[in-house]
Amino acid sequence: MFTFLRRVIRFGWHNFWRAGGLNVATVFVLIVTISLITTLFISEGAVKHIIAQIKEKIDISVYVAPETSNEEMEIIKDRLVEMPEVQAVSIVSKEDALEQFRERHKNDPVLLESLDIVGTNPFYASLNIRANDPEQYAAILEVLNSSSLDDIIYKVDYVEKKTVIEKLSGFITNVNTGGLLMALALGVVAVLVAFNTIRVAIYDASKEISIMRLVGAPNRFIRGPFIVQGMIAGAIAALASFFILLLVSYFLAPKIDAMTNGFNVFSWFKARAFGLFFVQLASGIALGVISSLIAIRKYLTA
Amino acid sequence: MIFFENISKMYKPDTVALKNVSFQIGANGNEFVSIVGKSGAGKTTLIRLLLREEEPTSGKIIYGGKNIAEIKNKDLSIFRQKIGCVFQDYRLLPNKTVFENVAYAMEVMGATDYEILRDVPRLLEIVGLEDRAKHFPLGLSGGEKQRTAIARALAVRPEVIIADEPTGNLDPYHTRDIINLLEKIYDLGATVILATHDKAIINSLSRRVITLDNGEIIRDEEKGRFIL
Repeated sequence: MFTFLRRVIRFGWHNFWRAGGLNVATVFVLIVTISLITTLFISEGAVKHIIAQIKEKIDISVYVAPETSNEEMEIIKDRLVEMPEVQAVSIVSKEDALEQFRERHKNDPVLLESLDIVGTNPFYASLNIRANDPEQYAAILEVLNSSSLDDIIYKVDYVEKKTVIEKLSGFITNVNTGGLLMALALGVVAVLVAFNTIRVAIYDASKEISIMRLVGAPNRFIRGPFIVQGMIAGAIAALASFFILLLVSYFLAPKIDAMTNGFNVFSWFKARAFGLFFVQLASGIALGVISSLIAIRKYLTA
Repeated sequence: MIFFENISKMYKPDTVALKNVSFQIGANGNEFVSIVGKSGAGKTTLIRLLLREEEPTSGKIIYGGKNIAEIKNKDLSIFRQKIGCVFQDYRLLPNKTVFENVAYAMEVMGATDYEILRDVPRLLEIVGLEDRAKHFPLGLSGGEKQRTAIARALAVRPEVIIADEPTGNLDPYHTRDIINLLEKIYDLGATVILATHDKAIINSLSRRVITLDNGEIIRDEEKGRFIL
């Protein structure tokens, strides 16, 4: 068995290095395929980042009645934080709200002046709530409205934000589903192209296969070297693809960072380098081996 | 040893390659048999049937007491290891050196590295290619390629060597060279089946000749000549 394995590996190695042209083409197509598969992973990371950014921006404010004390505010906050749907709650006191308003409109003297004319702080204290998922705001509000807190809640700005939140939720779902479908379609196309290239390479070797059969080579002796060839091509393609993408991500990182508002593709790549390389190696070898196995089958039937 | 019993082979739609052919080879030990005929007479079909590259439409081929049609696909490689083949187009593996081409036949039948290193140089010496061991087929002349193919055929110590037009692409000098080698193989105890349409070779051999014409045997003589 050991001698058989040693010979099969040697034959596969020789075939790979000596056959030249078509093997180079196979490796090239595998590099493209593996890079595409990896890029799909990277895109998923970027999309997740963008979606997280959008989600960060969505929150609702619950305004409480003017007589509500700070202690009561803290109690409400604690209650909200306990809810599994709630990611974060922050208290904005009347004073904070006034300060924020002044800051926001510091270039509008008319507005600031009108505040001075009013004489008192017209703002309500509020609780800013951020849910884990934008779709959960309705559920959070339902809990708020149905509880004893209803009396001290003056107003919730959910109704005004509802349309935007729903639209964003829809957009996020669409991006997720669309991205998954596109990734699947691209993945299938890439795999088919790689399979076809290996099929052509084996078709090119069909005369050699018939010679091997005439010499009396058992099927495993014919199949084995092609599998080894597929593995070598897959492994080389995975290695090349890894370094190409590492370089590309290094040079494109600043641009992608700017486009996605903070997604550093190089850091993302580095943090997952081991796992990504494993996926690339596994997909490269699997593509090479499975394509070879399927393609060679018809030459070994009789 | 080899019996062809009422072999017929038809190709669709209506080509008859062999018509009810019967003969035997090696009944009294090893034999040197030439099969002659014009192109399309059925020589190559006969050889393809013997190697079980194809199946006859009717009839049986018995080799070593067994109907070869009954050999299971998985055992076909073992059957073919008993037969050495030499073809007009050499059929060498282009990505292997001369040494590796010859060694390949031994490797697939499970010979040890020691046996390979011992036998292959000897075989290359027999065919006069010891200084070409590391060359690839692309860099060899036609005669050298054919001698490599003969060395490979010999590597499995076959009971039978089939040579289908082995000199078809060679000049007269190399032709003589190859025929001498085949005679040497016969002298060493193997049966040689030579398919050719080279009149000069047949007439110089003075051995058994089976003549085919339009898929039928028209002559089978012990010391035959090329008559068509």
